[in-house]
Amino acid sequence: MAAVEVPVEKWTGKIREVKLGGNGRKSVVVGGANTLPFLCFEGVQAHRPAVAIEVRDKEPRDWSPHLVSAWGDALKSPGAWAKKAAEYGADIVYVRLASAHPEEGNTGASEAKKTAGEVLSAVDLPVIFVGPDVAEKDNEVLVAVSDVAKGQRVGLGNCVEKNHKTIAATCIADGHVAIAKTPIEINLAKQLNILLCDVGVQPDSILMDPTTGALGYGLEYSYSVMERLRLAALMGDGMTSMPMVCTVGEESWRQKESKATSDVPKVWGDHLQRSLVWEEVTAMGLLTSGADIVVLRHPRTVAAVKAVIDKMTK
Amino acid sequence: MESLKQGPRKVKVEFLPEGQSVLVPPGTLVLDAAAQAGVPLVSPCGAQGRCGRCLVRVEHGEVTRAQNPHLSAKQVGEGWALACVTQIVGDVALHVPPQRERERVVVQAAATRKAAAVRCEWPRYPAVRRFYLELPKPSLEDSSSDLERLKKALAVSHGIEEVHVVLPVMKGLTRELRQADWKVTVTVDAQEGGATRIVDIQGGHKESPLLGLAVDIGTTNVWIDLVDLSTGRSLDRVSTLNRQVSRGEDVISRIIYSQRGNGLEELRQLVLDTINNLIAELAIRHKFEPREMQGMVVAGNTTMVHLLLGLPARHIREEPYVPSATHFPVYTAAEVGVNINPFASVYCVPAVAAYVGGDITAGVLSSCLFESKKLTLFLDVGTNGEIVMGDADWMTTCACSAGPAFEGAGMRFGMRATKGAIEDVTMNSTTLEPTLRVIGNVAPVGICGSGLLSALAEMLLTGVVDRSGRMNMGLAREQIGAGSRLKLGDHGAEYVLVWARDSGIGEDIVLSEVDVNNLLRTKAAIYAGIAVMARNVGVALEDVEEVLIGGSFGQHINVEKAIQVGMLPDLPWDRFKFLGNTSLAGAYNILLSRHARVQADEVARRMTYFELVADNTFMDEFTAAMFLPHTDLSRFPSVAALLEKQAGAGVGG
Amino acid sequence: MALTGIEIYKFLPKTNCKKCNFPTCLAFAMKVASRVVDISACPDLSPESRAALESAGRPPIRLVTLGGDGHKVEVGNETVLFRHEKTFYHPPALLVRVKDTMPKADIEKLVEEVDAYQVERVGMKLSMDGFAVHNASKDADKFVQAVEAVTAKSNLVLMLMSENPVAMEAATAKVASRKPLLHAATKDNWNAMLEVAKKHACPLVVRETSGLNELSDLSEKTSQAGVEDIVLDAGINDFRSSVDLLTQIRRQALKKNFRPLGYPVVTFPGELAASADEEVLLAAQHIAKYAGVIVLEHFSPAVAYPLLTLRLNIYTDPQKPIQMAAGVYEVGAPKAESPLCVTTNFSLTYFSVAGEIEASGFPSWLLVCDTEGLSVLTAWAAGKFDAERIAKAVKQFNAGDKVSHKSVILPGKVAVLRGELEDELSGWKVLVGPPEAMDIGGFFKRTWKA
Repeated sequence: MAAVEVPVEKWTGKIREVKLGGNGRKSVVVGGANTLPFLCFEGVQAHRPAVAIEVRDKEPRDWSPHLVSAWGDALKSPGAWAKKAAEYGADIVYVRLASAHPEEGNTGASEAKKTAGEVLSAVDLPVIFVGPDVAEKDNEVLVAVSDVAKGQRVGLGNCVEKNHKTIAATCIADGHVAIAKTPIEINLAKQLNILLCDVGVQPDSILMDPTTGALGYGLEYSYSVMERLRLAALMGDGMTSMPMVCTVGEESWRQKESKATSDVPKVWGDHLQRSLVWEEVTAMGLLTSGADIVVLRHPRTVAAVKAVIDKMTK
Repeated sequence: MESLKQGPRKVKVEFLPEGQSVLVPPGTLVLDAAAQAGVPLVSPCGAQGRCGRCLVRVEHGEVTRAQNPHLSAKQVGEGWALACVTQIVGDVALHVPPQRERERVVVQAAATRKAAAVRCEWPRYPAVRRFYLELPKPSLEDSSSDLERLKKALAVSHGIEEVHVVLPVMKGLTRELRQADWKVTVTVDAQEGGATRIVDIQGGHKESPLLGLAVDIGTTNVWIDLVDLSTGRSLDRVSTLNRQVSRGEDVISRIIYSQRGNGLEELRQLVLDTINNLIAELAIRHKFEPREMQGMVVAGNTTMVHLLLGLPARHIREEPYVPSATHFPVYTAAEVGVNINPFASVYCVPAVAAYVGGDITAGVLSSCLFESKKLTLFLDVGTNGEIVMGDADWMTTCACSAGPAFEGAGMRFGMRATKGAIEDVTMNSTTLEPTLRVIGNVAPVGICGSGLLSALAEMLLTGVVDRSGRMNMGLAREQIGAGSRLKLGDHGAEYVLVWARDSGIGEDIVLSEVDVNNLLRTKAAIYAGIAVMARNVGVALEDVEEVLIGGSFGQHINVEKAIQVGMLPDLPWDRFKFLGNTSLAGAYNILLSRHARVQADEVARRMTYFELVADNTFMDEFTAAMFLPHTDLSRFPSVAALLEKQAGAGVGG
Repeated sequence: MALTGIEIYKFLPKTNCKKCNFPTCLAFAMKVASRVVDISACPDLSPESRAALESAGRPPIRLVTLGGDGHKVEVGNETVLFRHEKTFYHPPALLVRVKDTMPKADIEKLVEEVDAYQVERVGMKLSMDGFAVHNASKDADKFVQAVEAVTAKSNLVLMLMSENPVAMEAATAKVASRKPLLHAATKDNWNAMLEVAKKHACPLVVRETSGLNELSDLSEKTSQAGVEDIVLDAGINDFRSSVDLLTQIRRQALKKNFRPLGYPVVTFPGELAASADEEVLLAAQHIAKYAGVIVLEHFSPAVAYPLLTLRLNIYTDPQKPIQMAAGVYEVGAPKAESPLCVTTNFSLTYFSVAGEIEASGFPSWLLVCDTEGLSVLTAWAAGKFDAERIAKAVKQFNAGDKVSHKSVILPGKVAVLRGELEDELSGWKVLVGPPEAMDIGGFFKRTWKA
């Protein structure tokens, strides 16, 4: 009988292990894989991918009714929302400081501190805080949050090529993890990691957000960029080996397939089921290509994705 | 016990010609010893061994030199050493030359790094030849016509059959033969694939040189070699600015101009004026009539040749980039409008495609790439960057729209490599103070391509810019010395190369972040072009055995700096060769040899053109190259080592 | 192993004769290497060179055609492990399982629904591929009846699932011209199943779940016995082992050129699923890595649509950006006074702009210019997104008739085109939008008085 030799790759690199939380909070370590996602025969996935739930500091105005009904009044308070996220099984709470956006209230450091304080005291999970993605506001609110969260090793983002020095400096000073966001391009992702390391951020204090394309809206670009980043890391490139975080919920729920409540083709099927599957399949696609943290919105998606991660990693 | 009393062993260092001396422990750097002895020795790079300026000559005694690219083996043999990386071993005497002599040695060292041009040997067999004929006089027994007589003589004595005599020459034939007692000098032009024509007949035996012209029409400059076709000797070389420059600096703007009303004809006249003026200059200098010049070979990019011939150039610019012709018919000088013998042939070296012109074909010809056994990369860096890769077996070529940044265009203080241009920059790692070399040794007025390249490399190595090309404003605060050279100007962050008080233009000469970004794009386009082409044919860049550099910028390019910024692949320096004006050299080869002419047509056909824009990996490679030196540092091991060393030295904040 | 351009070139006549319609032999070789053209386009290839190139170019994973009369689907012939290395060529067939234990009316209803299912996305019509008719009853007559019920309602591809060679022969005989995929030859029924496949020239699934050694033995035996169109069934149906097995099979085929595993693989993501969610997620994983045929237990539009979309995404050629058709698109329900924005026809650019407009709460007209699939800056740099082209598109698609205000919003990254565009479009006002799509909402709020 022909003995089929198991074709094992000899990877020289591995994904860095990045810890969030600790020091009194629960901690989560992501990364550590020395093979491709969920391949068990040639290596180990040292830590299972984590599921984060997105929480906002301000009640969202334009969310799908299915999300609104799932979260209810919790949407009005970041603390309550975070607490409920913990109940629904979040490994990490991902807080978007949306109200700091000039168009969304233009709140500043003091409100950010308040939000951070609420969330940090409501749950003992690790937390990631991201600003409104407007350079000056990001710097303002994230520096404030950094101070409040000092020592609790939260994630702070988004560092981008044009605006990373302030956030990097505050991460270094207060012991946090920098989230490095780049627009679906492998070189830019690597370049930002290098720049962050060059200004003194430790490589194991960086998470990459390579930008998520939702199913049907650029998923294939994210998929391949992430797969390439992961492969480069396994082949020994230390500047692409940071774990990756994907904002699956945000991207998935903003698309017409999830957003539109009427006037859609009948072949799209049931709205709720379609929206959930859209978020789940986006998450699954990106987990398959190397996501270490998926940020989700709907509690049922969280349950479904956690269940399959359990099955794939046990 | 005895040795303890004496303290550590010391050696004596004597500095000549002044004779200062000092005692230092063995292992001391010459630079430190000089400082102790009060001998002024500048170190523009901050004792990093980067600039090669702190030269001394070891008269006697023992030193340990660190390996350094700035000195040739010959210079090391003569005793030259760099004070900042040379340690004293025993008693030594060191000669410290005056600043000017040091500069000379540095420049010499740079020159010896440039290998001489490779030239293949072509059998001398020009298309234009001249024969002295003594015809048998006609008689009643031999009353064949004048023309028959001439033809027969040519056939019998030189094996030339089937000649065509152009009408104006024919008209003078009868008179010329009789006046000169049937002894005449005929000039025969035999173009491949065309008729063999008699283009000139003069009475008697003419022994003055048979003159021809090799012409390189560059977008910026026009060069002409005056050649003696009978000896193959180049008699003179002249050049001037292409007068079309006043109608646009690059080919695209020329094409756009040519599409206006009378634009095409205007541009044609401008380049003809440029050429005819150079011819007139040569005629005066060498005391001959322009019509005595019997042949011309023109190499130029596809657009330049179109404009010379008055062919519409519009479609060169528009997709799918189709020129009127790539292999141009041979026309007479009168048809083209150049002021030489009106019946002389003007041969334009064939182009490969819209953006790979006859200048590149001529370059491949003169560099002998087409018959090389080595995997060769040929680069012509001018206003555009053209790349050829291959060997005797295969050749591919592409054009990268590098943009004219290295010609100074689009840069705030950019200029061509002329008087007053900063051509070399060294920056002190600690103080960030620059040391400049300026063409003509005058107050600087701008910065040329090689200056830009070295400035960018130095800014990277000193940490003034980070690897994405962004200025490190944090350094401004820590900076010591005369005011901060890193500042926020009207155009964002900038580095001051020359303060207003020292410049020849009354204002600061700066490099801004915008300029740096421009340079990044240019160098990234060139490197990405090289990388994409290599991958597409399936060869590894490190397997390239020889890199040939031609083009205007190529003459000034500093390989070390070009590698440091990631424009050229990180190969051993001895694989790089500078060929100067390869386009002109190719035209010269063709002028002198029909074999070269045949080969030129063949080379243009053999080159496989590759459209970079159509390649989907180009953007990927380009983005990867938009970093200093490159996103993938493992492709630039020598630069990685250098950056590590700089970081280790605590440079860059 | 795929050959590089230079390696292929070495076999060519090097005459640059242009008979292949490429300017040089090297240009041709590079196109052969990137699979744009087949080596047979060279008329002057020596027989030795042809043999050498064809064997080097032989697909490491066999192309298997499912279906005959009516509907055909090709699976297999993949050449890479990762889509960015080149592309994935043949999307896995998505089949829905029909059990012969179901009442006929239910079968018909399901088949009609699946058969009619079609959803449109970026101008492409996506649909399911067919049915896996399962002899769950173990009764040959029932099996035949079920197969007939399916074929009466649909022309789509068939996979016949029965362990019983007699039932298989009976059913296959009825639909032989449809070239059903026969599932499956096992080590117990191998001889008889092989005969059915041979007799009707149908592709055959080789099923062996005890291990890849055993599976490759059986597939090798099958190909040696003369059935070449093989699909492998390694019993892939759970989260724990799917990626492992599918990756091992694909790597064996591609990296070791191991022929016995060089076939498409069938998977059953719903067999063990605890919920419909789990089935769809495992199916999603199988689409990404590396199934050739996927048999689903359930069908519903709200699940089919995302799965078909995922399949489209994963099997999009990464080297050819998806292009939107040029034209004026409605985002939301724009009115005459709504903004008119301009962008390029690169799908990702379009989707990010359209998505942000959608999210902004300002319904708009979006004029998509043909830039050959390039994004804004790239297209501009390549001369494919200039004032002339934009003006042409404005006129060609009668954008002026849609809006009452005659103003057009340029992407901020090409703000330099503003003056030129105003020259080209007389009577129009040209506004400069934000450089990044994500700032569109803020831009509208600041500037647009609807």
